Parts: sequence; structure tokens; C-alpha cells
Amino acid sequence: MAYSDKVIDHYNNPRNVGQLDKASTEVGTGLVGAPECGDVMRLQIRVNSETQVIEEAKFKTFGCGSAIASSSLATEWIKGRTVEDALAIKNTDIVKELSLPPVKIHCSVLAEDAIRAAIGDWKKKNSVAETANAAAVAH
Amino acid sequence: MLKVIDSAVPVACWSCSIGHNDFTLFCPHCSKIQPPPGGDYFSVFGLEPRLNLDLAALEHEFHRLSRKLHPDRFARAQENEREWSLADTALLNDAYRTLKEPLRRTEYLLKLLGAEIGSDAGTEQGGHDKKDLSRVPADLLEEVFELNMQLEEMRMARKLGETDPELQVSLERAKRKFDVLLSEVDQDLRSQWQVWDEGDAAVRKTAQKLMVALLDRRRYLSNLVRDVTETLGA
Ligand code: FES
Ligand SMILES: [Zn+2]
Repeated sequence: MAYSDKVIDHYNNPRNVGQLDKASTEVGTGLVGAPECGDVMRLQIRVNSETQVIEEAKFKTFGCGSAIASSSLATEWIKGRTVEDALAIKNTDIVKELSLPPVKIHCSVLAEDAIRAAIGDWKKKNSVAETANAAAVAH
Repeated sequence: MLKVIDSAVPVACWSCSIGHNDFTLFCPHCSKIQPPPGGDYFSVFGLEPRLNLDLAALEHEFHRLSRKLHPDRFARAQENEREWSLADTALLNDAYRTLKEPLRRTEYLLKLLGAEIGSDAGTEQGGHDKKDLSRVPADLLEEVFELNMQLEEMRMARKLGETDPELQVSLERAKRKFDVLLSEVDQDLRSQWQVWDEGDAAVRKTAQKLMVALLDRRRYLSNLVRDVTETLGA
């Protein structure tokens, strides 16, 4: 199948591959899988608790080229964003950026799920309420 | 062709005008070939949807219908009959290939029943609202991920011309374990077939949910077993 140049670029030079200390309270880990194909993805973030800014993001994906590119792109996008901003990223944004064909849409869903799972884990660790979050910091 | 499990629609034969249902390939009255049928893959073989199939009977019926539909037989027929024989043959082949293979048959039936599996599951719009993330237990994901890490390590070591007997042993152990898990999933699937085939609507619904979850689990396991086997055999 024909991959777009952007997918190939991320595939050949994946950004932010690696691992953060899972035990650290600053780190949120999202481990997700795509039941459609059995691929798995781990995405981790290190969040500044004062500013709620994601200062570091790492991923490791065992899956297809599109899943690797989606997670690589996702880490690029969320770095420097606040947790709330990162949650605004939709899989459709990834699909657009990487020109993924319909059969590869679930690969981008995997990346979005991974972002959410990582942020969810960080929130849980830091007992940030799921809903009325960033408010305290913003004001 | 995914419209099923509703009932057949009565139609009039184009040749003899007598009514019959639109699931049949041939008119039961004048035996003429009919336009491509409107049912599902099961009805192509005159079967109700079910998961336990008599494969010998299925194969027999496949050959019988293949012969009847063979385009050579329609060489001198009307143009539309010739076209139908080609279309019906293609349909028959797809139906047979899908039904004879247990996993494909199960996935097909679940899809007919509206389950979200396969590559178009939960993809439009935001996606995850439609998808239940907890379908595959977290500890399985954890294990799958860990084993993938080990496999990667093993491949790297190989590339460098090193051997890591400890890693080899642990991968072999993992393979045995996942082989067992895989055959357990298959057994569970089989028993759900039975439950579905014999159950009423409510029982079937529960069985369908279970089967979707089992198939999801199976995809992770079979990927792993494939990768481990490949790496160990290299
Ligand atoms: S094919 Fe499943 S994640 Fe890409
Ligand atoms: Zn007729």
C-alpha cells in the first residue's frame, strides 16, 4: 500500500521514541491496543505540575507504519502543550496531516487513545479531577 | 451483501413468472438461473445463519452449485443469464471461502449482526466514544507489549551476531504460554458457537458480545505467536 511522504518520514525517522520512568508522579503512561489488528502502542508524557505543560513525550509502538507515524506525530504535537490542549487533538487531525487512507484510520485512533490514556494516568496519579481540571491553574 | 437476517423477499421468476424467494440461485419451478440473490452467504447454500457447520456437506453443495453455475453451461444462453452465472459464481466463491474457515465465518456472522469489528470499527468522528477501550484486559496488553520488547531485543542481538540464551529460553517459555492461551480462546469460541446456534435472541446477544471480545483477544495473541515463532525460527 502506498504511504504518504509524511508517514514515510516519521517511519524512517520516528521522533521521541523511548521510555520515561513509569513510577514517577510526573509521568503519565498510556498503553493501548487496536483490536482491529492486534497492534500495541505505549505513549508517555512528563508533565510540569505547576504549569500543566507536557514537557516531554515518548512513545514505543509495535505496529504498522501508520501507527508508528501517528504516534510519532502525536508526541511532536503534544510536547509544549498543556494537558487540556493536548486533549483537543483528534484522530482526524492526524489523518489529515498524514493523509491516511480509510483502512488506516484506526491507527490514528490508537494514537488519540494513547494520548488520552497517558493524560488519564497522569491525572489519576496527581488526583486531578477528570472534569473540573485546569480551572484552578488557569485562574 | 451484508443485509441479512431479514427474511427473503418474494419475487417473480423472469422466465416462468411463478413466485419464489429472492435467496435462490435457480428458480425452483423452471430451474432457470436467477439474478444474483439478495440474501447472505449462508442463504446462498440454503442455510440458516449458524456457526457449527457440516463442512463436508458445505463442500459438497459448493461443488454442486459450482457445476450448475459454470459459465460454460451458459455459453449459448441469453446475455443476462451469462452475466448472472458469472456474478453468481463470484458470490458462491466468496461465500464458500468465508464460511468454510471458522474464524472468517464467525467474524462474518458477527458483522451481519452489526458488531463492530474489523478495520472500520469506531473510526468516523472522534472514534473512541463508540469503542469500548476495556475490551481487551490491560494485563494482556501489558504482556503483549513486554514480549514485543523482548522480541526486539532478540532481533537486535541477532543483528550484532550475539546470542542471548537467557532471552531465548524466556521467549520459548512465552511462546508455549501464548500457544496455550490461543487454544483456550479457540475452545471458548467453539463453545460460544454452540450457545449461539441453540440459543434464543437474548442468549445469542450475550454470546455475540463474548465472541467479539474473544476475537479481539485472539488478534493480539496470534500476532504474538506469529512474531515469536518467526524470531525464534530465524
Ligand atoms: S494496522 Fe492496526 S494500527 Fe495500523
Ligand atoms: Zn421460473
